Amino acid sequence: MTGQADGKMPAVSSVIGRSCPRVDGADKVTGSALFAADRRMEGMLYARVLRSTVPHAVLRRIDAEAARAVPGVAAVYTAADIPGENRVGIIVKDEPVLVDDRIRRVGDPLALVVAGNEQALAAAMSEIEVFYEELPAVFSPEEAMAGGAPAIHGQGNIQSVTRIVRGDVDSALKEARAVISRRYTTQMVEHAYLEPEAGLAAVVDGLVTIWVSTQNPHYDRREVARVLGIGQNRVRVVQSPTGGGFGGKLDISVQCLLGLAAWKTGRPVRMVYSREESMAASPKRHPCVIDYTSACDGDGRLLAVKVKIVGDTGAYASYGPATLKRAAVHATGPYEVPNVFIESYCVYTNNPTAGAMRGFGVPQVAFAHESQMDLLAGALGLDPFTIRLRNCFRPGGVTATGQRLLHSVGIKETIDRARAKAEELGMLEGKR
Amino acid sequence: MKPFRFRATVNGRPVDLPVDPRRRLLDVLREDLGLTGTKEGCGEGECGACTVLLDGRPVNACLVLAPEAAGCDITTIEGVAVEGRLHPIQEAFLEAGAVQCGYCTPGMILAAKALLDKDPRPTDQAIKTAVSGNLCRCTGYVKIVKAVRLAAARLAREEGAV
Ligand code: FES
Ligand code: FES
Repeated sequence: MTGQADGKMPAVSSVIGRSCPRVDGADKVTGSALFAADRRMEGMLYARVLRSTVPHAVLRRIDAEAARAVPGVAAVYTAADIPGENRVGIIVKDEPVLVDDRIRRVGDPLALVVAGNEQALAAAMSEIEVFYEELPAVFSPEEAMAGGAPAIHGQGNIQSVTRIVRGDVDSALKEARAVISRRYTTQMVEHAYLEPEAGLAAVVDGLVTIWVSTQNPHYDRREVARVLGIGQNRVRVVQSPTGGGFGGKLDISVQCLLGLAAWKTGRPVRMVYSREESMAASPKRHPCVIDYTSACDGDGRLLAVKVKIVGDTGAYASYGPATLKRAAVHATGPYEVPNVFIESYCVYTNNPTAGAMRGFGVPQVAFAHESQMDLLAGALGLDPFTIRLRNCFRPGGVTATGQRLLHSVGIKETIDRARAKAEELGMLEGKR
Repeated sequence: MKPFRFRATVNGRPVDLPVDPRRRLLDVLREDLGLTGTKEGCGEGECGACTVLLDGRPVNACLVLAPEAAGCDITTIEGVAVEGRLHPIQEAFLEAGAVQCGYCTPGMILAAKALLDKDPRPTDQAIKTAVSGNLCRCTGYVKIVKAVRLAAARLAREEGAV
């Protein structure tokens, strides 16, 4: 971008408002772009992590003697080998780099194998013996929230709760002309970026450098430094061209394991997930159960909504608290509602961890609030466009969290144009 | 296991090297020959990221054992640009905005090349069929189809000029 000494933007920008070639475009169409798995270094070792096959257990012991004796194996590391703190997490530090006490999901990392070639790696993996005592597991937030459920992190399984209250929902419900209550459930979704997680780490002049497929290099750097017990000034994280992320590469994947392997062996180490491992180990979109009640007057004007959202964050919090908070904040959708009671729960289970994914909790509630609008319109015999236009935010409107919208609000114009387009295409015929 | 003598033409150059016959063409290209433009997305023939051309035919290099490709003329993404000049398909992908993360791009371009080499004026349906074995998780397919259409038009013009 061209800047100017006086800090003002040039009158005609060379980039803004124009179609520009991607800076990395030529490398990507010729195959010369180096993704993390494309990197190699002299003397490089390969790493793979042994993962749990049970969802909930107390880890008793890992016997890696036979694995260490496999020719070509450089090292097998377990939690005891971690020099710093063995917990990571963007909001809550609740996830082990290598399990030390308790297995909380299928796919939890148990032991890290480092070897000179892939064959030795595979042979060593099958030589590791894991001793554990299985615990009863919970696979839905409903079970996890029930009294007497096994506590996955030592205390209750409700990780966090968000409440938004505005006005008086109960009185508004009494005055309403139409009230619709429904339960909506949404499923877990895997991001399935085309590039599985991968990275290469090397220690050069006392500095750990990690080239990695990531969306979050600054966070990665902090976590690697904490896990290795060294200063951030000794860790460098370089984001490789990243083959899709969609939120799923905001969490730690290979970073800390690679940092540990390179730090301990002093050799460059590469780690590449298979597709299966990527599916098993990476965070997902939060599955949600949403109980939604909406009430409106005879003209279709919303009087109140009452919403309870329960999100399954799986074994670790990851971005769960923020995702469920976002779901709560957006639970009214783009509509002004004078009376609001919203409760959103982020709940631990022994399912795969759920984290960030495009929309961050909003697609889940959008499914619910838009279905509700259609049902209300149907109950009053109103056109679905009309009920939305009657309720949508406008400049000056106030959201459920009390924010006054002072500037532009695009929803009315969007609906108008969508309707015009649908009419033009003859899509509304027979729909009135 | 006794190594297999792998002889083939890769991007116009002869190669001759011993390989373990159980290895995949994908590994030989990426690990032995350093041609890392060919990507691995699934390792089981689902995603098309590993697409290369064997005698002009698109194949998933993750499903081809190295000995099966012996004697073939193999084209990888590194062999598409000629002497540093982008191929019209590569240019079209850039211009049409058909490249985002770029991980599917090498495979997409080779699938498109296989099509245009034998059908220079494809219908949209033919384009869609040609890339139907290639997944893209970022761009969506509209711009990719548009890029192939654009490339076909460019190539036709170049032909006309000769
Ligand atoms: S890696 Fe070969 S088809 Fe996916
Ligand atoms: S551009 Fe990312 S998968 Fe196609």
